[in-house]
Amino acid sequence: MKRNYLILTLHLILCLLLAGCWSKKELTDLAIISAMGLDLNAKGEYVSTLQVINPSNVAGGLQGGGGSKGPPVTVYTATGSNIIEVNQIASTKLPRRRYYAHTNLLVIGEELARKEGIGNILDAFERNPEFRMTAVLIIAQGAKASDLLKVMTPVDKIPANKIIKNLRFTEEQWGEFFTINLQNAIKDLTTTGKSTVITGFSVSGSPEQGKKLENIQDSDPETTIGATGLGIFKEGKLISWFEGKTARGTGWILHKLKNTGISFSWMDKEDAVVYQVIREQTKSIPKIKKGKPHITIEVKAEGNIMELRMPADLTDPLVLLKMEKEIEKSIQEELLLALEEAKKNKTDIFGFGEAFHQSYPKEWEKLKEEWHDVRFPELAVDVKVDAYIRRTGLRNNANELQ
Amino acid sequence: MEKAKIGAYQLFVLILLFELGSAVLVPIAIEAKRDAWLAILLGMVGGILLFFVYYRLYRFYPKLVLTEYMEKLVGKILGKILSFGYILFFAYSAARVLRDFGEMLLTYAYVNTPLFIVNTLLILVIIYAIQKGIEVLARTGELFFILLYLLAITGFLLLIFSGLFDLKQLKPFLEDGWGVVLKVVASQTLYVPFGEAIVFAMIFPYLKDSKKIKIAGVSGILLSGINLALVMAINISVLGIDLASRSQFPLLSTVQSIQIAEFLERLDVFFMVSMVIGIFFKVSLYFYAAVSATTILFKIKEPSKLVYPMGLAILFMSITIANSYSEHIKEGLVVTTRFLHPFFLVVIPVILLGIAYLKNWGKKRKSQNGAKNTSVSQKG
Repeated sequence: MKRNYLILTLHLILCLLLAGCWSKKELTDLAIISAMGLDLNAKGEYVSTLQVINPSNVAGGLQGGGGSKGPPVTVYTATGSNIIEVNQIASTKLPRRRYYAHTNLLVIGEELARKEGIGNILDAFERNPEFRMTAVLIIAQGAKASDLLKVMTPVDKIPANKIIKNLRFTEEQWGEFFTINLQNAIKDLTTTGKSTVITGFSVSGSPEQGKKLENIQDSDPETTIGATGLGIFKEGKLISWFEGKTARGTGWILHKLKNTGISFSWMDKEDAVVYQVIREQTKSIPKIKKGKPHITIEVKAEGNIMELRMPADLTDPLVLLKMEKEIEKSIQEELLLALEEAKKNKTDIFGFGEAFHQSYPKEWEKLKEEWHDVRFPELAVDVKVDAYIRRTGLRNNANELQ
Repeated sequence: MEKAKIGAYQLFVLILLFELGSAVLVPIAIEAKRDAWLAILLGMVGGILLFFVYYRLYRFYPKLVLTEYMEKLVGKILGKILSFGYILFFAYSAARVLRDFGEMLLTYAYVNTPLFIVNTLLILVIIYAIQKGIEVLARTGELFFILLYLLAITGFLLLIFSGLFDLKQLKPFLEDGWGVVLKVVASQTLYVPFGEAIVFAMIFPYLKDSKKIKIAGVSGILLSGINLALVMAINISVLGIDLASRSQFPLLSTVQSIQIAEFLERLDVFFMVSMVIGIFFKVSLYFYAAVSATTILFKIKEPSKLVYPMGLAILFMSITIANSYSEHIKEGLVVTTRFLHPFFLVVIPVILLGIAYLKNWGKKRKSQNGAKNTSVSQKG
């Protein structure tokens, strides 16, 4: 009998362990941080911006029910001398426990990226088990991260989600900008033969107006945010922005591009035909020729004709072959543009150095010393493009006015 | 020694779970950089050779465990001292693995929980399992083996589908030459985890079919070695060498990078479950070896009475062996693999085997002269 009681008490005590509420975090006590921004202030201190979700203002929009009277997110800022401290100081203003597990976006102000670089900042995020390495990293181009995170966005109510999705779809459809997460950035930063590229977002319109809820009650919001440039880094510091064809050329070489439209001139009319790339394959092949490094970039693109603004007989395969030549020329142009710009900035964003490291480890020992400053700018690069037109859409020839 | 019987398949499963145990979690052989997988495979070859040493010793004394035939080979006093050494070694190793478990959970998930609580929870389960004996442990192993491999295969497929592999990261091959790789093999992978299979020298006599030990052991070590090499190659090809070598738990970082179709992400639980399974078996087997060696040395009639006190000792040892995680790891790399492992896993067994050959060589001649056959087996 005694033994039974003993066992019973033991079981009851064990039940206490099973509950597992040692460091419990009630959902209603969490401040879910959707995005975090970092800036440098005039004194050289860090300013952190936390975009916290207001759960009650995000849900319930569809039913037309109450709720969405306030803003979907609230932004808190704090100042301090290191990342952890800054964020803990932010708790003096927050009514809840800061929760980083859903922070999918990290925004770095341009000034911070230029002056201090991103190398030192990222350690705090890597080390913390709550923060995810798959969080997307962007730069606030020509703005402060805090301004960018304060702008209210239509369609996607949570600005962090809008930026992440914005970036993903522009990568899929246009290819000029692409998603880099913390892990990719750290990988590039710690590789000798490759520099980082990070997409920049900027604010158009007044940041003051963007903060207000009225901004999204307009069909044509005064203040909007969008991807505008590709930030080029050297030794962890932002040095330049690539835009337009230069940025897309970078996307080609890095094999980040998925779909995009290439326009080319036909019968002396500029940009008369649009070729939609549906598949592409890029290879960078390193070779050592007569003791000198040499890179061959091979691009293979497949796609369709999507727009024709000049008469052309698309039923004739020979015409298509001619067009393919034109397409190849204009793709090659973009690639060379990107290469030239990168060489001018003396930073190997394409990872050619790493390709040499992998294929020619012995030669790389000599090359790596002055790779970015001397070797890369004088690197010989061949660009070979093969483009194929597979289909021409639902029509063969263009309409002709009679 | 308890009266228990386990099958060859069960031995295979136990060896596999034991070898994978904590080795799959920590950055093993990372000093060999991109050639870590090669160092693991070479370590495995060495491990198989060591396994043959333990197996050959067992063939000389098929009814006895390591600490028993030790006394017969080197004499009573020296044998007892040595087997006491082995008890300490097994208990210390159990405590080290238990500490790995606690550190892992504390670093990753339960930052505010004291180490003592986490370790207590696991050791309680292990004490219970050991009290039930080796048969129960082996059957549990069969069950968890399936679960572990389901997790591993799903995780592997998810990694492939998420397109994270970049095999180029494994190049250049042998950047720093063979020297570094061989050094890592000799100082690490030969012992951890492959040489550690000496624990099974305490379990061999329980096997129903002693002829199958060789095939079960070799295939267990082979499969675990290939798995470990594969995991390390995956870690490096997903994370790159810098992140893989800076990660305390590279496999965790690899699993965390999986992102498929917007919802299949944050699969950390895959890692956690496989960690708990692996470590449970590694601690249990070390613990079992320690308990059974103690029973034999001190001629204790009821081994189950020993389990609680020894469990407590291991628990306290796991907390007091180091002040910090760095100290714990440093101790593992410097003290354990440099002094304890070569001595207990290689030197002593090889010397014992030498003595066994010499002794039995004499006996063999006698038996050929018509003397009565001894219990010594003559076939390898």
